[in-house]
Amino acid sequence: MSTRDEARAAPRAINGRAPDVFRRGEWVPMREHAEEEEVDFVVVGTGAGGAPLIARLAESGFSVVGMDAGPYFRPLEDFASDEREQEQLYWLDERICDGANPIVMGGKNSGQAVGGSTVHFAMVSLRFRPEWFKSRSALGYGADWPLDWREMWGYYQIAEQALSISGPVRYPWGPRRPRYPYRAHELNGAAELLARGAEALGMKWTATPLATVSAPHGRSPPCVYRGFCRFGCSTNAKQSQLVTFIPRALAAGAEIRDLAMVGRIEVGANGRVSGVHYHRDGRWRFQKARNVVVAGYAIETPRLLLASATDRYRQGLANSSGLVGKNLMTQSNQAVFGRMAQEVRWYKGPPSLAITEHWNYEDRKEFFGGYCWMAQGPLPVEWVTIQTSSRGLWGQALRDAMEHYIHQVGLKMVGEMLPDERNRVTLADEKDQYGLPIARITYSWGENDKALIQHALGQMQMSLEAVGATDIFRQEDDTNHLAGTARMGSDPSSSVVNADCRTWDIPNLWVCDGSVFPTTGGVNPSLTITSIALRTADRICALAARGEL
Amino acid sequence: MSGRPSHSALGLSSAVLLAAAALALVDRHAARPWRARIPALRKPTLRGKVTDATAAVRAARRMNRAAGLLAGSVLADSAVEHYRGSFHNKAMIAPLASAIFSLAVSAHGNADKRPVAHRARDVVYSGAFFTGLLGAGFHLFNVSKRPGGFCWQNLFYGAPLLAPAALILSGATGFLSERVRDTLPGRSPTIAGIPAGRAVAAATALGLIGTMGEAGLLHFRGAYHNPFMYAPVSIPPVAAVLIGHAALGRARERRWVTRLFLRLSAAMGFAGVGFHIFGVARNMGGWRNWSQNLLNGPPIPAPPSFTGLALAGLAALGLMEDHPDD
Ligand SMILES: Cc1cc2nc3c(=O)[nH]c(=O)nc-3n(C[C@H](O)[C@H](O)[C@H](O)COP(=O)(O)OP(=O)(O)OC[C@H]3O[C@@H](n4cnc5c(N)ncnc54)[C@H](O)[C@@H]3O)c2cc1C
Ligand code: SF4
Repeated sequence: MSTRDEARAAPRAINGRAPDVFRRGEWVPMREHAEEEEVDFVVVGTGAGGAPLIARLAESGFSVVGMDAGPYFRPLEDFASDEREQEQLYWLDERICDGANPIVMGGKNSGQAVGGSTVHFAMVSLRFRPEWFKSRSALGYGADWPLDWREMWGYYQIAEQALSISGPVRYPWGPRRPRYPYRAHELNGAAELLARGAEALGMKWTATPLATVSAPHGRSPPCVYRGFCRFGCSTNAKQSQLVTFIPRALAAGAEIRDLAMVGRIEVGANGRVSGVHYHRDGRWRFQKARNVVVAGYAIETPRLLLASATDRYRQGLANSSGLVGKNLMTQSNQAVFGRMAQEVRWYKGPPSLAITEHWNYEDRKEFFGGYCWMAQGPLPVEWVTIQTSSRGLWGQALRDAMEHYIHQVGLKMVGEMLPDERNRVTLADEKDQYGLPIARITYSWGENDKALIQHALGQMQMSLEAVGATDIFRQEDDTNHLAGTARMGSDPSSSVVNADCRTWDIPNLWVCDGSVFPTTGGVNPSLTITSIALRTADRICALAARGEL
Repeated sequence: MSGRPSHSALGLSSAVLLAAAALALVDRHAARPWRARIPALRKPTLRGKVTDATAAVRAARRMNRAAGLLAGSVLADSAVEHYRGSFHNKAMIAPLASAIFSLAVSAHGNADKRPVAHRARDVVYSGAFFTGLLGAGFHLFNVSKRPGGFCWQNLFYGAPLLAPAALILSGATGFLSERVRDTLPGRSPTIAGIPAGRAVAAATALGLIGTMGEAGLLHFRGAYHNPFMYAPVSIPPVAAVLIGHAALGRARERRWVTRLFLRLSAAMGFAGVGFHIFGVARNMGGWRNWSQNLLNGPPIPAPPSFTGLALAGLAALGLMEDHPDD
């Protein structure tokens, strides 16, 4: 059995110790709590939202247990540089996907591990455009956030420091931001072509701020530019939650339970939650808690809230607005590819080394929302998949196309899709291996989404043409990140949680992950999720100090 | 593009600053016409007893050693970096060849106790000087044609603009050493009419500033992740100001602080090697993976450039003391 399979077979964080992610075969001490002990917080999910919250709450003196359905990986031992092998790292449990544009679930959008999706994410760490926090009133679409961008600017800074983001000396869009803790990485061939294309179109571009270090940091060596980031970084250059906030959490006295699938949140007679039922090591268990935070991301969070319905809360927990599961958003991730006469070798280094956010900050366009695009470098297996699905190539034609791999170049967008109540997560009648109802995910693109995608495809194509690419083709169907389904707001009738990520209905139930986004913006979401989590931790401390928990 | 450095003329502005600071210090000798106040601009007068004939040779040999050290640093550094660049342009061989020759004639000069300049050494040193100049031109061109032009990103990862300067300095120091050596018995060495000690001191000051610029840029790229990375941007500038002051100030002063900072800079150059060896170990796989990490990690041969310059500075002080011109 490979070490990676071992991680899946049985929990590793037991007997008062957890894997030391920085040293092969070593352990770090971990405080443990008895199940009958009522801990201050159980956090369900240890990803971009869960991990920082666990760390900050533990550092503030709360007793915290973080649970994750996924395994506790040892990056130095478990991650191979093998595309096919590593495909199994995602949340691949069955889901039912329908609607006019069903979302393809799995590798593109859901991690399942201690550290959550950040273990596999592409590390792009961007701030929102300030106006997006007031999309409705400032830009005329979606919904306003109950957060102020200036306050968020402060939390972004803390998040960037904690994740040692490597970014450009000056970021060309938006209000001034402090210097990134590490310098940007060297551009690869694909990124340079993005830059040349942008310059030809008169757009600004920059090296992308990434959560992988460009110089040593603690026990992380600098990035070695092998490009297997989406399959788990085997050097620890990548600053995932697994090697940043989780070690901090352990050091501060938090407990992490891996391979612990939470199936139900228990509600007491007083209408408050009292703990969670979870499945670990072959049987169902119950952990008592004063507060429960759900941080399972935009599919699993509403699934858990809906599946925890009781006689008192028949529609599911925190769902008096009827909005739990609704307004699911993904982001358009279409691409344009072409071929250069010279070698590009786009597979070198992290996949998205250069970016233009031009259309996030330019409002002279015929649709709502924005998008950015980044340089691309799909690895060979992914590239074959794109060739077969987007171009329908097969047999000799496919083999011939693959010969050009090192000459290929591409641009891929991250585009804002608008919230729509018809895009949603509900419970299907079918049950999964734990006997829990499976999530049904319904998604259809709106007219605005389609207009935005067409605009982006045209712009990206122009950029590729400007650098002399030939054999240009479009990948029209791809989507990636998720958001929505438990939106935050300032009114209990039109939102699920308030600005502090506290549910309106049950004061000791919180949601702290990508589900709380009212709109999703035109940039990758994780830095915003982490910043919101850091803010939530501060707010919880402030509320506790006032006796309002 | 990722923002243009607002102080792209870093080296130049620092040099101006240095000169201003030195002038300000010189100002202590007030109440004399300004030209007379700057001893470097005064005609060298041969006062006092006729100087020791071997002193010039001794100073020249010191400078040969400095030139050699700089050449050695260039050789190792450009060998690694240009190998990394796969010598994709044939001219990338040039600095290696030039540095090897420079190293050889420096050894020759160090062994040579005759008080006359040597034709071959002159040719090689001038060659190094011009190869360095050409290299700087090439590097400038490389950076300018990258997308974004002279922005931080390209200063970090394009051909290092100031690296060829070490070859220029090696050539210049060597060439000056020949002029010092070539002094007629009983005369004080001069270079283009300027007392040699002063000329070498001034060159050292500029060289230190330039080398500090290069180290500062690369350490900034490394986000100063280790506090010791501030050393090459803190000690050498002080040494540069002090030796710059010496170049313009009085020759008869003891200048033990200047010597101290030059020695510190020299020691730092060697210590830098140790830190860079440690830096290589912090890359994935450490020294077990030396074949990759020697290329990825901090350049081990780079820091001794400071040592070479500091040695030249000490030689300059020696010259000034042996041949006081005021
Ligand atoms: C391949 C890939 C690349 C990406 N690239 C980027 C990028 O470059 N930049 C960016 O900003 N974003 C990127 N993302 C998106 C980003 O990773 C997510 O938006 C972010 O991690 C979501 O944070 P979260 O806390 O909401 O959920 P996650 O980080 O997904 O964490 C949720 C965790 O909860 C656990 N969980 C869920 N339900 C339960 C349950 N019932 N019981 C126990 N545990 C549970 C899951 O196992 C999971 O580990 C990428 C995502 C993927 C998959
Ligand atoms: S390219 Fe860098 S961040 Fe990506 S997997 Fe390799 S070392 Fe990790």
